[in-house]
Amino acid sequence: MSLLWLKLAVLLYGVAALAVLPAALYDRPNWRHLAIPATVAAAFFHFVSLAEMLVAAHHRLPVETHELQSLFALLLTLVFLVIYARFRAIALGIFVLPLAFLLGILAAFRPGHEELLPLRTGWIYLHITLLLAAYAALLVSLLASVLYLIQERRLKSKASVLNWIPALGTPLEVLDQIALKSLLFGLPCMTGGLLIGSWIAQQTMGAQYFLDPKILLAFAMWVAYCIMIFIRRHSGLRGRRAVYLSSFVFLVVLTVWAANQFSAVHRFPTP
Amino acid sequence: MKPAMKPEIQLVKSEAPEAQPSTPATLVLIGINHTTAPIEVRERLAIAPSDLAHATRTLLRHPGIREGLIVSTCNRIEILTTQEALADATTPSTLPRFLEEFFNVPASTLTPHLYEFRELDAVRHLFRVASSLDSMVVGEPQILGQVKESYAAAREAGAVSTTLEGLLQRAFTVAKRVRTETEIGSSSVSIASIAVDLARKIFGALTGKTILLVGAGKMSELAARHLIQHGAANILVANRTQSRAEHIAAEFLSSNCTTAIIPWDQLHEQAGRADIVITSTGSPEKIFLRTHGQQLLHRRRNRPMFFIDIAVPRDVDPAMNEVEGCFVYDIDDLQQVAQANLADRSREAAEAEAIVALEVEKYQKRLSARDAVPAILALQQSAESIREAELARTLTKLASSGLTPAQQTAIESLTRSLTAKLLHPQLVALRKSATAPDED
Repeated sequence: MSLLWLKLAVLLYGVAALAVLPAALYDRPNWRHLAIPATVAAAFFHFVSLAEMLVAAHHRLPVETHELQSLFALLLTLVFLVIYARFRAIALGIFVLPLAFLLGILAAFRPGHEELLPLRTGWIYLHITLLLAAYAALLVSLLASVLYLIQERRLKSKASVLNWIPALGTPLEVLDQIALKSLLFGLPCMTGGLLIGSWIAQQTMGAQYFLDPKILLAFAMWVAYCIMIFIRRHSGLRGRRAVYLSSFVFLVVLTVWAANQFSAVHRFPTP
Repeated sequence: MKPAMKPEIQLVKSEAPEAQPSTPATLVLIGINHTTAPIEVRERLAIAPSDLAHATRTLLRHPGIREGLIVSTCNRIEILTTQEALADATTPSTLPRFLEEFFNVPASTLTPHLYEFRELDAVRHLFRVASSLDSMVVGEPQILGQVKESYAAAREAGAVSTTLEGLLQRAFTVAKRVRTETEIGSSSVSIASIAVDLARKIFGALTGKTILLVGAGKMSELAARHLIQHGAANILVANRTQSRAEHIAAEFLSSNCTTAIIPWDQLHEQAGRADIVITSTGSPEKIFLRTHGQQLLHRRRNRPMFFIDIAVPRDVDPAMNEVEGCFVYDIDDLQQVAQANLADRSREAAEAEAIVALEVEKYQKRLSARDAVPAILALQQSAESIREAELARTLTKLASSGLTPAQQTAIESLTRSLTAKLLHPQLVALRKSATAPDED
């Protein structure tokens, strides 16, 4: 049954991903009225599916790749909905909804089967959720920065060169606030996730665990995240340079993710 | 605008045309607008909103007028009436005479500029006017409000009854449909409103934003007022002449807007306090250079700045637009946006015209169906009277046979049934022919 709900959610993500294009790019309110309810419904069925999937597997945390993908897509969607509720900024949906759709498709049609360490503590669940939430926030921040750049270029080009780019309904300052506030939301999540992960590792494997280069890379990721927030807050970094900085930190995050996926040591579900 | 000579208006309440004569009426619309008459003529025919009801009452007393409505704006005056049926399309309407008498304007001045529409052409014209397709700036939203004001005035004067009521309600619906189904009014076409639109694309809500006015000019002040209407709350004024700066600042000072004067020699140091800079000096040299933009952005920690340069020659170096966070629009850029938006509106207008054409057709069908009602009633009444007469004759003949009441009822029922069945195809054909398009 959980896969059925997930497939329904994927279908709704697909509808929302299509409807968001005219809503955001051509400012058509009728499409907005389709995109947002479809997203809310998709998130609901996605949550039901995930909950049923975890219950059916007799565990309370996502331990397989498709479960992680599914949870990440859900968190990303929730971040988008929160931003929409706060700023009425639908433009982010242009990227977020197709991404949620693709991650959902992978989870719905290619279930994973990885065996992971048999940790059954609630702290692991929190560790994973917090880190995924931090990644989702970082991704949203990066997307908002990219949208800022597009909107800025369009405004600067006036009525000539970049006129083929449809105007985004979201103003520059709102995009900037979304980018910064997403980062500010992501930092405590990442900090909490890393601290909880470190504590669990200390309990289960001891101090040698922290000599693993990929673990050091994870802490480097946290430092880069902090530096990025510091620079954005104190120099008001926007536009092109903000995109570069966010992209760099996102690259670090991807590296940490990949390192964790391929490492033989750290196979409990840190993404 | 006031009319050159205000006519004598009698405050006599006219009869409300509730009980209309059943004789046919003709829908007639006459008027002048910005395309047919120069301002010198239009201003002689203008009616202030407060005088509309009185003018409509006077119109209603004109011979042959059953219902009436007057729309008066700075670009047009239109008189829409239902009149005693005119003999044919060439029979002249008496409405031009009403205009001549009411405004005391000679026919020679008026006639060359007048247009007249009757029946469906009048309906089409009204729909186009209400939908802002006949406006000087196509898609402007004020005209619908003005037509509604005229309607309210006409109702107050008791000049609107069945025909105009239905027609005007339809016109409002058509205008609403055009506005919601097309993008005809979605883009700004005036310099001041374009400035506001651009500022909102950069800053979102303009609440609390600060505007710096450099120099003085009507257009820059108009743009600043538009920005204040949309939430900007602080005005900084910089002018080479201190007294002029004080005068401008005093003009803008209000309960929802604070003002301050920036000394001219501190302009570059303090300009960073403003989010939006509007320049319109007569300076032959550039006042803001690219380097100033970099310094200002640095001081503002990269918060964006919007420069609206209305001056010719320009006050802001166009290279400043290359500085990240600086957005510079000169008068040509703004006009280019206005032209592009006007072109958008023209494209949407074609779609709106199609909606109007469709609605006129629908209205015609409705009218035709309504026109068939008297004929249907007449046919039914005629058949009924024949049936009653024939029934009475038959019952008299059969009275000697001693018909029982049940037999009499059966005969009556038979005649009713026969009449209904014989009439049915005729009634259907009548209804169909009324709503079918004219073959001619």
